[in-house]
Amino acid sequence: MGSARPSARVWRPETPSQPSVNWILPEGASLDLEGISSPLQVLRGLGGGTQGQVFEVEVAGERLALKWYLPACIARDPHLERRLGESIRATAPSDAFLWPLALVKSSQGAVPLLRRGEPSFGYLMELRPTGFVGAHEHVGGHLAIGLLQVLRASFFLAEAFHALHLKGLCYKDISLGNLFLEASSGRILICDNDNVDVDGRDLGSVLGTPGFMAPEILMGRARPGANSDLFSLAVLIFRLLTRHDPLRGRRELAIRCLDEPARRRLYGEEPLFIFDPADPSNRPDPIEHVAALITWPIYPEPIKQLFEQTFCTGLQAPQRRALTGQWMAALAAALDQRQLCASCGQETFPAPSDPAPLCWSCGCPMPPPGRLLLPHGQVTAAPGNELHAHHFDRLLPLRLNQPLARVEAHPSDGDLLGLRNLSGQSWQAELRTGNRLMVEPGQACNLAPLVRITTPAGAVELPS
Amino acid sequence: MPFPNVRLANRPLHFIYICDCSGSMAAQGKIQALNQAIRQSLPGMAEVARQNPEARVLVRAVSFADRAIWHLEQPTEVQQLQWLDLQAGGITAMGEALELVAAVLQSPPMEERALPPVLVLISDGQPTDDFDAGLASLMRQPWAQKAVRLAIAMGHDADTEVLQQFIGSDPGGGLPAGEIPGASGQTPMHRSGRSPRRPLQASSATSLAQYIQWASTAVVGAASMPASRMAGSGPQPNIPLPDLPPTLMDPTDDVGPLVW
Repeated sequence: MGSARPSARVWRPETPSQPSVNWILPEGASLDLEGISSPLQVLRGLGGGTQGQVFEVEVAGERLALKWYLPACIARDPHLERRLGESIRATAPSDAFLWPLALVKSSQGAVPLLRRGEPSFGYLMELRPTGFVGAHEHVGGHLAIGLLQVLRASFFLAEAFHALHLKGLCYKDISLGNLFLEASSGRILICDNDNVDVDGRDLGSVLGTPGFMAPEILMGRARPGANSDLFSLAVLIFRLLTRHDPLRGRRELAIRCLDEPARRRLYGEEPLFIFDPADPSNRPDPIEHVAALITWPIYPEPIKQLFEQTFCTGLQAPQRRALTGQWMAALAAALDQRQLCASCGQETFPAPSDPAPLCWSCGCPMPPPGRLLLPHGQVTAAPGNELHAHHFDRLLPLRLNQPLARVEAHPSDGDLLGLRNLSGQSWQAELRTGNRLMVEPGQACNLAPLVRITTPAGAVELPS
Repeated sequence: MPFPNVRLANRPLHFIYICDCSGSMAAQGKIQALNQAIRQSLPGMAEVARQNPEARVLVRAVSFADRAIWHLEQPTEVQQLQWLDLQAGGITAMGEALELVAAVLQSPPMEERALPPVLVLISDGQPTDDFDAGLASLMRQPWAQKAVRLAIAMGHDADTEVLQQFIGSDPGGGLPAGEIPGASGQTPMHRSGRSPRRPLQASSATSLAQYIQWASTAVVGAASMPASRMAGSGPQPNIPLPDLPPTLMDPTDDVGPLVW
């Protein structure tokens, strides 16, 4: 007995080189799985949780990620396989989702190779590209990121849920844990799309994550769907924009031990928005909740109104929560009015109608900026601001991922602003002198002497 | 321009190891296995701490043998923690160890606001002092009542009765308190029979390392930032505990003692 493994009973410490994770799929193995025609090679384990483990794999020369479920997870969620199959057939709502590409199941021959010897299944998806980090890195203050990128990320998040909801689907379990950001661009990726379901059908077991769940879900009055997604989306946008929680104000300070019953009270039984205009009793504490107090004044009124809509009236009225399209419009408009403070250089978002705006950061008065007037809207002339197709045609959907032009500072004279042609077509610029010049794709033109730029998409007017 | 230099307000999460360092831990390399398991778990614990911006994870450790002493007295951020090896030798003053923990869980020194503490008791034997008195003074502390209390039995000589008393009764029921699936040879070992509300049976260095890893990552995660909630999971305790790690394929695991 035990002669083959004589040392098994000795408490020999694991050597430091030994990985401490026990991968269900053996690294290096080649597995024949149902659902794909080529063998799948397990390259390495990437991570694991209570649901399952994620591996980097190679299938027919292509590197992909494989999420493989633990049998206990499948047992808790009997419709998981069916939902995944339907999601795969429905295809990704947008490229912001690391969407399931194919369902793979352990075949008879592969089961003995699995560490636990139990049949299971998983799904293939794209690998998360380098450069994307967990959104918790931003909320925890570990990520160097600008307000421009944070607002863009919020827009992309709303846009992704817009596309998902338009497909008749809902996500059910948005939280910081499923969101990844690219700090340099604000692009996002949404992971863990395995709870996605047809809205209203409720073929799933997940309820959500406390802190992000709508009160009616936490309290068991409703099941998750598109309306509860809207609540979770607003929480996530609030967390991105403020690095704070929308419901944690003074009421949280009365709680000594923040455990499940306490979270239930904060988020379900007695939720109150920290900036509720009608009830100030849950305002942020000036010491404990300083992040909310510093960041809230940064944002334009329409964004604040959407938070109030969702966290005040919409708290108990799910159908009155701000919609994905409203978020997209408010966030895109905020980006259009982004202006750099002449004194401190900080990014500010004064409304064009504000006669005497002050910088939220240093308090200095902000002189009126140069503006680019477009057929549909206006964009402040500040480095980094972009013109998009929807600025020229109000029938086009709001999109930020294919800018036609970007305001840039001259590389050696930062005070000199130009507009770079990011489109594939030539522009004609008209100078105050009446002269005209061509701005070819990739070129930038100095804005100071211009009155108008004519592009194939439409005209950009520069009022003096 | 950078985002304003602010971050989510956080609360301390006190994680306390309570480690048996009696003479029997010197046998078969158990104390080395424990040192190694804790040291190995630290990077994963640091990673979880970073992913949970709501928490500031602070680690301490008590060792008990002839006396109970603070092995790591200063609450130390896990990112800064360097684990010094525990040494084995002496008897099993487990009750005194719980007294030490009780003293730091009263406020002050305990912060006014915190996340539920996590207490991990690891033992391979029987207490030789007044365990009941120690447990009673621990459980008089509200923070101890709120704490996630886990116990790991190293080998099969551990007193699972006292470990179960430390954890409290298992609301999941099934087996009588103190009974470990597979331990007596009478209860068939079944995966679903394992419960984090019962002492975890570590019968090898590998399973010990897994349990330590689980406690320092999955449980810390659950105590600091809530995880996805499933329907039908019934009334939640103070902190819903995550699934235990999948058991190993090693067929000699959990069949009972072979050598000692």
